[in-house]
Amino acid sequence: MSFVFAFALAGLVLVAAPYFAHRLRRRRADSRFFAPAHLVPPAPVRARRKAALEDRALFATRALAVIGLALLGASPLVRCSRLALNRSSGASVALAIVLDDSMSMRAKLGDRTRFARARSGAIELLGSTREGDAVAIILAGDPARVALAPTTDLRGARALLESLPESDRATDLDGAIAVARGLVEGLPQADRRVVVLSDLADGHPDAPPLGEGSSVPVWNALPEIRADGHDCAVIRADRSGLRVRVRVACTPGNVAPRTVGRTVALYLGEKAIVDAAAPAGATGDVVLSLPADSLPKGQEPGALVARLLGGDAIDEDDAAPVIAEAIPSSIAVVVPSDSEIAATGGPPVVEQALRALQLDVTVRPLPQIPDRVDDLAAFAGVLLDDPPGFTPEERRALGAFVERGGLVLVALGPRASTPPLGATLEPFVMHPLAWEASAPAGVDPATATPSIAESAASLVELGARHRTVLGAEDAAAFTTLLAWSDRAPLVAERAVGRGEAWIVTLPFALDASDLPVRPAFLALLDAWIDVARARTVPRRTEVGVAWTFPDSRKVTAIGPGGDELPVAQGPARLQVTPPRLGLYRVVADGRVEVRVAQPASREVDLRPRRVAVAAASRVTGETVASVDASPTLACFLLALFALELGLRLRAGRDTDPSAPPR
Amino acid sequence: MPAPNSALRQALDWGSLAPLRLRARLVAEGVYAGAHRSARRGAGVEFGGHRAYTPGDDLRWLDRRALLLHDRLVVRQFETETDRALRLVVDATASMGYRGARAPGAKLAWAAVVAAALARIATSSGDPVGLTYFAGGDATRSVPVSAGREAFERILGSLEAATADGDARTDKAVIDRALGGIARAARRGSIVVILSDLLDLPDGAADQIAAVATGGRVVVVVQILDPDEAVFPFHGTMRLEAFEGGLVVETDADAARGEYLEALERHRVAWDRALVGRGARVVRAQTTDDPVKVLRSITLAAR
Repeated sequence: MSFVFAFALAGLVLVAAPYFAHRLRRRRADSRFFAPAHLVPPAPVRARRKAALEDRALFATRALAVIGLALLGASPLVRCSRLALNRSSGASVALAIVLDDSMSMRAKLGDRTRFARARSGAIELLGSTREGDAVAIILAGDPARVALAPTTDLRGARALLESLPESDRATDLDGAIAVARGLVEGLPQADRRVVVLSDLADGHPDAPPLGEGSSVPVWNALPEIRADGHDCAVIRADRSGLRVRVRVACTPGNVAPRTVGRTVALYLGEKAIVDAAAPAGATGDVVLSLPADSLPKGQEPGALVARLLGGDAIDEDDAAPVIAEAIPSSIAVVVPSDSEIAATGGPPVVEQALRALQLDVTVRPLPQIPDRVDDLAAFAGVLLDDPPGFTPEERRALGAFVERGGLVLVALGPRASTPPLGATLEPFVMHPLAWEASAPAGVDPATATPSIAESAASLVELGARHRTVLGAEDAAAFTTLLAWSDRAPLVAERAVGRGEAWIVTLPFALDASDLPVRPAFLALLDAWIDVARARTVPRRTEVGVAWTFPDSRKVTAIGPGGDELPVAQGPARLQVTPPRLGLYRVVADGRVEVRVAQPASREVDLRPRRVAVAAASRVTGETVASVDASPTLACFLLALFALELGLRLRAGRDTDPSAPPR
Repeated sequence: MPAPNSALRQALDWGSLAPLRLRARLVAEGVYAGAHRSARRGAGVEFGGHRAYTPGDDLRWLDRRALLLHDRLVVRQFETETDRALRLVVDATASMGYRGARAPGAKLAWAAVVAAALARIATSSGDPVGLTYFAGGDATRSVPVSAGREAFERILGSLEAATADGDARTDKAVIDRALGGIARAARRGSIVVILSDLLDLPDGAADQIAAVATGGRVVVVVQILDPDEAVFPFHGTMRLEAFEGGLVVETDADAARGEYLEALERHRVAWDRALVGRGARVVRAQTTDDPVKVLRSITLAAR
């Protein structure tokens, strides 16, 4: 509030004028003629209520009128923190509001969160829009989402803003600004703006300044909610037997003094079981050992909670449920023992190819196919290179693995075509195969599935003389992903239960073909592992990462607050996106799973990102925080004037006609 | 320095009681009066009873047969239909010009309506009617007793021209001027209706009015109050000025209300004692009352 505004508001002291006027008027008694005056007892002077205020309604009206006049005079000078659009050209505005709903916005600013302030700022901005303006709302929590496509329905936009909840997502400011820019660029309004309401803590403090080089003006409207302070979070807590590994991440920088004295403790309900000092450094693990009898049998998943004691900027991320480590992120590879180890001088070529892909999966070579389904539970996929058929036990184990959603890749070669007695390739290939010297020169790239289409051209000259030929019924059961030039399948897939079986009609041996040394081989493995990973979503993911259920028909997910999450229909699969940290209970086609949404490590980094000068300036941002309440005040004064007239009229009607004029 | 009631001298506040002619006719038509038997006994054709002879009675009506039978001197009486003169006395002192916020008109205007209605009833019965005032403005003129339609018109004209003025508290002869002629001229059986608020009349006025009730005359006093005077509805500090006598009272209306109402009740009882004990009848009315009902009360009281 400026001095000029304060000076203008000094007119408010005139509100005392009606009070004194009424008091002074009351010092004269109400005088009137009255015939039986001689019957009226005179009151003692001290008992007369001279000071009493009468005509209170009239007095209140006049006092309000004085206040209204003072405010009317002062309102053009008001400059407050209320956000408003400045229309230098007077034209309609296309406005994209980027509202940050990430976890760092949960940090308190006074008595409310930064997100609440940002949301109220967005509502204030909407209040200054007019008919003809278009508004879009983009949420900057990772991944950036369009909460409201550009619309001129300002009332609907306001209703949406009021209903937006907080989330624990990471921050994707760049993505959100890009989306916002794309939304407003196509609108007919000449005046287009992107308003960012964020704490700017997106985990990339050293990234280029926000709004730099943007084709649409970007304005960081609320610099006061810029992130500061320090935060530590429990990223994950995994139990393996009686050992619990808790990972703690803190805002980088001067960390050591911040974590000194803080403790990581395991709680079962409200009871602390064991604790240990928090790890030093920005990110670190602490391993806690549970007492042997501390965990009752049959306890609910998530009953054990790891908590980081001591306060910081965000309280919500200081606890995480403890779940057992059982993430099927490994790939089992079964290669014949007499394969080309000698030829390559190292691991089989397929293993080398898998490691060359540098995927975040573990390649685990197995000497033979497990014959128990439990042995396959830890794997996301099983790769079999030219297996000599499956024994009955292996068939049962592999069948159950695939039926439950597993993925199998079988390279069919001479061994598979000549299995020993009693061994078959069921349940993937039902009929005998033939290893024939009928291989064409190569594949037809046009038949390649999109995931391997880019590199399919490398297989035009394969240098293979033999290939595996499927029976007619088996060929019809498979869907070809890549075909030979004579249309016979080279790579094909078929659904088995809830899982899938992929086949390649060449073995992964260098002496059989050039396939393992072609780029398309890596693309094939990459595509297969992608599918495998999609089918084996880990139990613990970052918050905001969608969980997909490829073959489930009905999915329900109950969040940590007991609320049911909406299930989205993605491309041929159901998706559930956890918006908050914590434990989720998911039921997919009757199968109950427990999943955990964990915070993103970068979201703990509260160092704000730099802002371009143009985006930080209110002048260049073409918005000025000003308030013009004159029309409202004028209407208010007019109503008061009418009210006073009414009151005076009524008072005049109630006045005794025989009373002398006042 | 003008008198405190100078603001009221200019014109009477008729309010919704105007026009007087129409209002009086409506009020009068709401009351059935018709011909009435006179209480006066004298020469006539219809026997009306005996009474004891007193010296001075006309010997023509001495009942000789009763003397022979009972050995007592009695005279015969006869009833006869006769005119019954109505004398209206309207208080036109300054206090009668008061009109409160809830009243339809000034007290004098309301009294004029009742008086005019009474005059119409009397003239339609053939009875003579006269009008006189307590005080009143310069245009206030009394009407001598006369009968017929012309008498009603004269009374109407006088009432319409009447204004509230005069201070009965300082002019002690106001009552004598109005009632003196009635006391001298009114015969037995005459009806005297006095319409007043009885508030600002001088001391002894009650005795003077009661004196008229002697001699076989029927006196009906109608006390007319404004609702403000009856309930004292004021609030806060008030400065009350009397219309007459120059009295000024400053008071807290809320605190003084109870005491005022008690004083008003004592005032009423004193007037009742003075009037009713000596043969007069009293009718109470407020200017918010229906004049028809009050008129019925007056006619009942006059029988």
